[in-house]
Amino acid sequence: MKQLTDAQLNNLQKDLDAIRDEVVADLGERDARYIRKIIRLHRALEVGGRVMMPFGFIPPVFIAATASLGIAKILENMEIGHNVMHGQYDWMNDPALNSQTYEWDTVCTSTSWRRTHNYEHHTYTNIIGKDRDYGYAVLRLSDDVKWHPGHLLQFVNYILLTVLFQWGVGVHELESEKLRRGQLRWRDKLPFLKEFVQKGGRQAFKDYVFFPLLTLPVAPIVLAGNVGANLIRNIWASTVIFCGHFTQDAETFTEEECEGESKGHWYLRQLTGSSNFTGGKWLHILSGHLSYQVEHHVFPDLPAHRYPEISGKVQAVCKKYDIPYNTGTFAKQYGTVLGRIARFSLPDSVRTRLENRRQLQAI
Amino acid sequence: MLARLTQTKPLHWLGQQLLNRDNPAAWLDPLAETINPMWVQEHTPVRVEQIIQETADTRTFVLAPASRWQGFEAGQHVNICVEINGVRHTRTFSLSSSPELWRRQGQITLTIKRLPGGLVTNWLHDNLSPGQTFALGAAFGEFLIPRPARPVLFIAGGSGITPILSQLETMADSNYPQPVTLLYFVRSQNDVIARARLEALASRYSQLSLRIISADESKEPRFLSASDLDAVPALTHRDVFLCGPKGLMDLASQLLAGKNVAPDRIHSTFFAPPTPVVLDGDALGGQVRFTHSQVEAGSEGDANLLEIAEAAGLKPQYGCRMGICHQCSCRKTSGTVVNRLTGKVSGPGEESVQLCVSVPRGPVTLDV
Repeated sequence: MKQLTDAQLNNLQKDLDAIRDEVVADLGERDARYIRKIIRLHRALEVGGRVMMPFGFIPPVFIAATASLGIAKILENMEIGHNVMHGQYDWMNDPALNSQTYEWDTVCTSTSWRRTHNYEHHTYTNIIGKDRDYGYAVLRLSDDVKWHPGHLLQFVNYILLTVLFQWGVGVHELESEKLRRGQLRWRDKLPFLKEFVQKGGRQAFKDYVFFPLLTLPVAPIVLAGNVGANLIRNIWASTVIFCGHFTQDAETFTEEECEGESKGHWYLRQLTGSSNFTGGKWLHILSGHLSYQVEHHVFPDLPAHRYPEISGKVQAVCKKYDIPYNTGTFAKQYGTVLGRIARFSLPDSVRTRLENRRQLQAI
Repeated sequence: MLARLTQTKPLHWLGQQLLNRDNPAAWLDPLAETINPMWVQEHTPVRVEQIIQETADTRTFVLAPASRWQGFEAGQHVNICVEINGVRHTRTFSLSSSPELWRRQGQITLTIKRLPGGLVTNWLHDNLSPGQTFALGAAFGEFLIPRPARPVLFIAGGSGITPILSQLETMADSNYPQPVTLLYFVRSQNDVIARARLEALASRYSQLSLRIISADESKEPRFLSASDLDAVPALTHRDVFLCGPKGLMDLASQLLAGKNVAPDRIHSTFFAPPTPVVLDGDALGGQVRFTHSQVEAGSEGDANLLEIAEAAGLKPQYGCRMGICHQCSCRKTSGTVVNRLTGKVSGPGEESVQLCVSVPRGPVTLDV
């Protein structure tokens, strides 16, 4: 990790706070219009998808309906739900956009998400042992975790996690690894499990029971389309999120180096532990602007559509302190994520040998 | 129609399951309002029909609420919510029309004076035009015409006339069988709100005696005096309704007490924020724990819970910020708070509190 003196960290904090203050002072009508436009688009896509789905016996309609519903879910989860729950729009004082009451269209309850994501992940970002989002307690993504033969199969785990992403996120707070190790008792997790079953049941009922039964003669088609839409959302959300912290150069931290850290140090950790990817306007919108993961981690409660506007300023700050600003094309970044998953599935001896050979070849 | 449909219990429940929200009917609002803003289900929309200039700084807004609005009684107020530069603001105003107008023509009126420096009143004056819509809450308030009928004295100041206009109209329509006197204090004759309406009422409704008193009548500012009250026949048999600026209300309460009018006969309503009682600053303040957000913040002196939460970086919902609209109400799970308006001290246990007027006294835990 890039080392800065306390004075430098202090200045870093001031520089970043100044960027934030400028945006906060400017929040208003434009931001309200933006999020409402996205919400209208979401409603139109969801209604469109649901209405078209029963006519999915015509193949092009099936594709259109599934895509429409899938994109609706992506928009709702990523550009609306995730961002609203971060409190990005709380200043609007609109009960429909309130971070504490918003409930999103996925298995994970908002309450659980606010605890595991907003609090744990955004506070302890990439601190191995504290940030349970680092590898989701399923994947070994750095040598901070001791290798064992099970890791050889972690690419399969990764595919499963991606395909079932909403369920994985939903059970994240169960902390199954701690239950396995006996650090937690099942009965401690009963309240969580109850909420999980309630919300998971509700989501499964909607997409896999209610809407198919509503259109009984074509139930299999509607069921298939709804499964497809959830799958599209799962794969996309998982991919975007993996690109945010598990790219080649995204750094990890130890608990010791973060003990009693200053706000400036926290900022530094957010800058070096996150990674962006580049792309067109719609790629950013569909990723909930998590393509600007660096900006998001530095300012999680600024409306996300502002990240592209402040990205230049954040990069200038990084340059000033010689902090790496991790970005690249979507393909490049995702490639390094897959590489990381593959490399750390190998025993350290094999991995280092391969890495050394690669470096030699590069020379 | 949609509202009625979604109010049936099973459908409402189903909607909640399918749409992950407590008010499923509002899910389509973002699309519905682009077609017709009156179709919004999240709140009761109200459309501006007409705007009447009453005085230089006061206008009456004639409004048509969506038909599902529950109606009101003369003398009640409503919350309205408008969005200014992306931020929703809630304010309370008295209804100035009679409930009869709502029943017959589906209209209500709000008579609103520009508050110097006020964000919302000035915005309403400068931006509202016929055809626009905003949100209307349910009517509330206990400033009601006595039942059974008793003689009444109204003492109004400035825009405090608004709920009384509604009451007088209603009394005239029903031919209220007891004497009614209105003492209406204004700064100058130019500041009389709804003069034509008042004069028409006085001429068609014989029980009403109307006195408009302007402060600039004499060299010395002309305020309510004991002789004004002496001129009201059978004063002690009357129900007295006060509505106006604090100075007038205090003066009136004092003079009425001197004339042996029983306190339970005096009804007051505020059209301006009630002034906080003086709290004993030393005993106040404390550590506030916001359990939901996992944030803790200390406070000293008479900072209210809303200010403390905002200073700690939280953004709880709020409305009027003066203890009227209950937008900021939330659960207190433990601790004692003092109500800034009444000085009343809460119990130590779990209850709903209004963040904007509750000042912690010792440690407090909130479900925010």
